Amino acid sequence: MEQQKVDMFLMTQGKYFEGYQLPAIRDQLLKMDDSKFIMLQAANLKDPTTTLIISIVGGSLGIDRFFLGDTGLGIAKLLTCGGIGIWAIVDWFLIQGRARELNMERLQRVLF
Amino acid sequence: MTEHPSFSYTPNEYEAEKASNSYLMSVIAVMIGLPLPVINLIATAIFFIANKRATHFVRWHCMQALLSQGFTFPMNVTGVYWTLSIVFGANIISNNYIAYMTTIVVFNIAEFIATVYAAVQTRKGNHVEWWLFGPLTHLLIKA
Repeated sequence: MEQQKVDMFLMTQGKYFEGYQLPAIRDQLLKMDDSKFIMLQAANLKDPTTTLIISIVGGSLGIDRFFLGDTGLGIAKLLTCGGIGIWAIVDWFLIQGRARELNMERLQRVLF
Repeated sequence: MTEHPSFSYTPNEYEAEKASNSYLMSVIAVMIGLPLPVINLIATAIFFIANKRATHFVRWHCMQALLSQGFTFPMNVTGVYWTLSIVFGANIISNNYIAYMTTIVVFNIAEFIATVYAAVQTRKGNHVEWWLFGPLTHLLIKA
């Protein structure tokens, strides 16, 4: 893929990944075929900041986990009222990392 | 109460953030969980389990936060039980009770300040070892 496109992608979507992952992502995108660019744009990446807000507002109902696609954990969180509130608190600090991890997994699925 | 020895490697930005979160979360869990003393211990334990595959720096600081919470837990539980036995039971407020409560309040405040300090320092990437808990953590968390 062209370097300009890659840099543009990283400028707009870089916040969806961990900082240490960006150099590796850049290398992979440069080697990627141009035909995959549309698939890359359509990849359903989750904004970590939005996820955190959802976690603070609806964490005790498991909405944050549903949002990320962790349906099983979401149901468990819903049934336990966010683990009697404790799991909900812990998730405030874990959920952004989880969103970035899932984004990386989705990117890898597009690339390979 | 705290020391700043060098860690075996220089942690990355994201590691510093995660390690700092372990302390920050225990502070918030204390504030939300009061007067129940068990909430912060469970929250810190869940956080440690969630980060058990994280890097050495993150696991080390999660364990230090967990040990400190584990140490204050029996003291706080005893204090809560004693207070409830006075409020609802036949016990009366004695000098022993006042001395015990003063001790655990001072201990909790010291622990709270140390936790906030550790959260600030680890966020900057500095390694903080507490008196007693630091060497214990070294024994439990291997590189």
